[in-house]
Amino acid sequence: MSVLTRMYRGETNFDFVGASRRTLVVSAVLVVLSILLLLLRPLNLSIDFTGGTVVVVSNEADASVEEVRSAMSDLGLGGARVQLTGEGKFIRVQTEALEAGPQDDLIVAVAAVAGVSVNEVTVSAVGPSFGAEVTRSALQALLIFLLVVSVYIAWRFEWKMAVAALAALFHDLVITGGSFAAFQFVVSPATVIAVLTIMGYSLYDTVVVFDKVNENVEDMHDRFTYTEIVNTSMNQVLMRSINTSLTSLLPVGSLLLIGSLAFGAETLREFALALFIGIALGTYSSIFVATPLLALWKEREEEWMRGRRRVERKRAGGDAPEPLPVSTAGDMLDGEAEATDAPQEVPANPAGVTPRPPRKRKKRR
Amino acid sequence: MLVTLLVTVAIAWGSLAAMLLAGWEVKLGLDLQGGFSVVLVSAEGTDEDTLQTAVEVMRRRIEELGSVQEPEIFVEGDRRIVVQLPGVEDRERALRAVGTTGDMSFRAVINILPESPYFTDPEGDHPPNINTETGYSDPDDVNEIAYLEAADSFAVYVVGPAFLTGVDIKGGAAQFSSQSGHGAAGGWIVVPDFTDEGGEKFREATGVLAAFPVGSPARQMAIVVDGVVQSAPAVAAGVVVEEGLDPNAVVITIGLSDNPQQESEDLAAILKYGALPTTFERERVESVSATLGEDALRAGLIAGLIGLAAVAIYMILYYRVLGVVAIVGLSVFGATLISALILLGQTQGTTLTLAGVTGIIVSIGITLDSSIVYFERVKEEYHTGRPLRPAFDHAFPGAFSTNLKGDTVTLLAAVLLWVLAIGPVKGFALTLGLATVIDVVVAWFYTRPATWLLSHSRLLDGGWFSIRGAMGKTGSEPPAGHGSGEEPSMVEVGT
Repeated sequence: MSVLTRMYRGETNFDFVGASRRTLVVSAVLVVLSILLLLLRPLNLSIDFTGGTVVVVSNEADASVEEVRSAMSDLGLGGARVQLTGEGKFIRVQTEALEAGPQDDLIVAVAAVAGVSVNEVTVSAVGPSFGAEVTRSALQALLIFLLVVSVYIAWRFEWKMAVAALAALFHDLVITGGSFAAFQFVVSPATVIAVLTIMGYSLYDTVVVFDKVNENVEDMHDRFTYTEIVNTSMNQVLMRSINTSLTSLLPVGSLLLIGSLAFGAETLREFALALFIGIALGTYSSIFVATPLLALWKEREEEWMRGRRRVERKRAGGDAPEPLPVSTAGDMLDGEAEATDAPQEVPANPAGVTPRPPRKRKKRR
Repeated sequence: MLVTLLVTVAIAWGSLAAMLLAGWEVKLGLDLQGGFSVVLVSAEGTDEDTLQTAVEVMRRRIEELGSVQEPEIFVEGDRRIVVQLPGVEDRERALRAVGTTGDMSFRAVINILPESPYFTDPEGDHPPNINTETGYSDPDDVNEIAYLEAADSFAVYVVGPAFLTGVDIKGGAAQFSSQSGHGAAGGWIVVPDFTDEGGEKFREATGVLAAFPVGSPARQMAIVVDGVVQSAPAVAAGVVVEEGLDPNAVVITIGLSDNPQQESEDLAAILKYGALPTTFERERVESVSATLGEDALRAGLIAGLIGLAAVAIYMILYYRVLGVVAIVGLSVFGATLISALILLGQTQGTTLTLAGVTGIIVSIGITLDSSIVYFERVKEEYHTGRPLRPAFDHAFPGAFSTNLKGDTVTLLAAVLLWVLAIGPVKGFALTLGLATVIDVVVAWFYTRPATWLLSHSRLLDGGWFSIRGAMGKTGSEPPAGHGSGEEPSMVEVGT
């Protein structure tokens, strides 16, 4: 039976926690890399944050970049960034923040070069203080949001889950930011919105997985170790995670596609890009970051360590031949770690032998 | 169940259809229909009332301009005013209407010169606040002598302190006068309307000005707005010294101009609504041409449709008849969301911006997730040996509670964004918040009864398309243990 068929039937039993040692390393490397990138190559901020004036106009007169540039120099705006976009069909001029007077001059001049009326010009002018204000209000919203959500998760689930969820969120945001820095995509208010969406999405996804874990803990806690329960839960929600991210990514993907093709949707493109990366990461991180972190952490708890000993004793004694929720042969992710890491590998323990000293377990963590 | 389902679907589709039939449409934001928007910021610590007054003044001025459909002017945060003028034709005039902010005053003209006295004699005795580059008073203090520029000539006006300010004037009206007399030889005039106190001040001032010889600049008074001389009518020849002009019979004639009607109307509007109570800085100007707005809207719609089609195909391949349930559910969701947006647009003036459209596209995934969580749970129940029909009943509460928790987080985000954020983020927060609420409603009132009915219909069993077909196992035998690999595997994931 192929892996896909089993996934379709919800019969997979991948050892996610076992595999997480590697995926966590990959994630950690990506996060560090992203932070370095963010430090070395600052984000390409749009005028909405830095202040400035952008004028876009349909290039009716087929003006060349040089013509526009010389018109700008006449106004004393030699530093203006002039671009032809949409295969030369549009002129885009960007300058620093201007006073009202020069700004109007700029608009009139660009309209004249392009051969259109002043009212056909698309202008976006932002004073430097406004950008700072937008950034400040966004950051404020972000911090309060994180606080409220942590409290919510801690109250509805438990505080360790809140921390794990936030760690996954941090992972998603930093890597999204890092990829924006790496490719120097423009960060606009639209991308800030995208980032906020990613936060919501990432948390939503994590909450769904945690909900399942909690539910299974209730049913299974006396027979299985925490890691096993987590693995079972993740196998159960695996198809849901894949399907949900696919159905979310398809519309965003088409937004990305259309945004790259159609001109008017330039802002859509950056937005869709941030979303695309973020949603994919959000799904990945709830499976490979948030939940494994939680499992590794919970296994250190006194109660779960005791539970683990009890479970092992029982299995070794053979009085309760429970079906194992997690296969011991690495299904796909991590065969080799399995051999040493799988506590449920019953055959390794000769039947009837007194329980292993629990110390050993602890050391390995 | 059937009743619930029918009522839900009827309400969702019916309300949308009714609204569309009534000719109501989603109100589009500036970025989607083209238009002009300005964000003005006042000094730190401006109080709420002042801002509200300014909004009122701007609104009346804009309405006075005509040709602007449904201007939106509102206070945002504690010191900002947002002016949104969809489909505005004349950007310049609109900008002047909201931007001509400062103090209006009537002042005696002392002299009219070709050049600022500051340039003629930099060492001489000059009023304070002279800008050394332009030679004008900058900023202009209405209580001092000032050198001012003129709106329609290159002359420099030397004017005295204000004898009359905005508070002394109630209004003004533009009229066409065919009579000659009062120096008006037929043409556009503006009739100012003074307060009692203002009228007295005016009479007094014109009495003083009348002492100067006819033709002397000192016989003129300057109407100054924001440090710019808008108009400088001379006191007519017949006015008696000391007695002055009857404030009730004053007219301001508009001289030669390209468009005297517009000019007189603009001046009347300035007189009528006076100066704004505080000064503003233009912080952000955004002007979107109508064609560009349409392009963006079209792109958003096309992206949405393609995305929907792709999602529909995937859902149906994967979940078969349940996929159809989910897609119909999505249409119920969409109809409700659009109805809500139309309703908000009609009652609150809420507009759908590009950010809002993207919010909707994002919410497609979140909505479908409710169904997916549910269906996956059903599958799980079924695979642990529960018969198919009870599996539905058993799976729903858990799935619903999961969705509720997830939606709570998203809703929290949306509400916080709505409260805290400014600008485009607000539009996004609105659609996202609405979407999560509707999602919960749809899950309870649509998905639950729809799947129940379906599981009691002939589509439960039989063939590829049925529910059992979507469960990944054939027949009705109790499912075997893990990985038995016995049953024929008939489906691969449809990719």
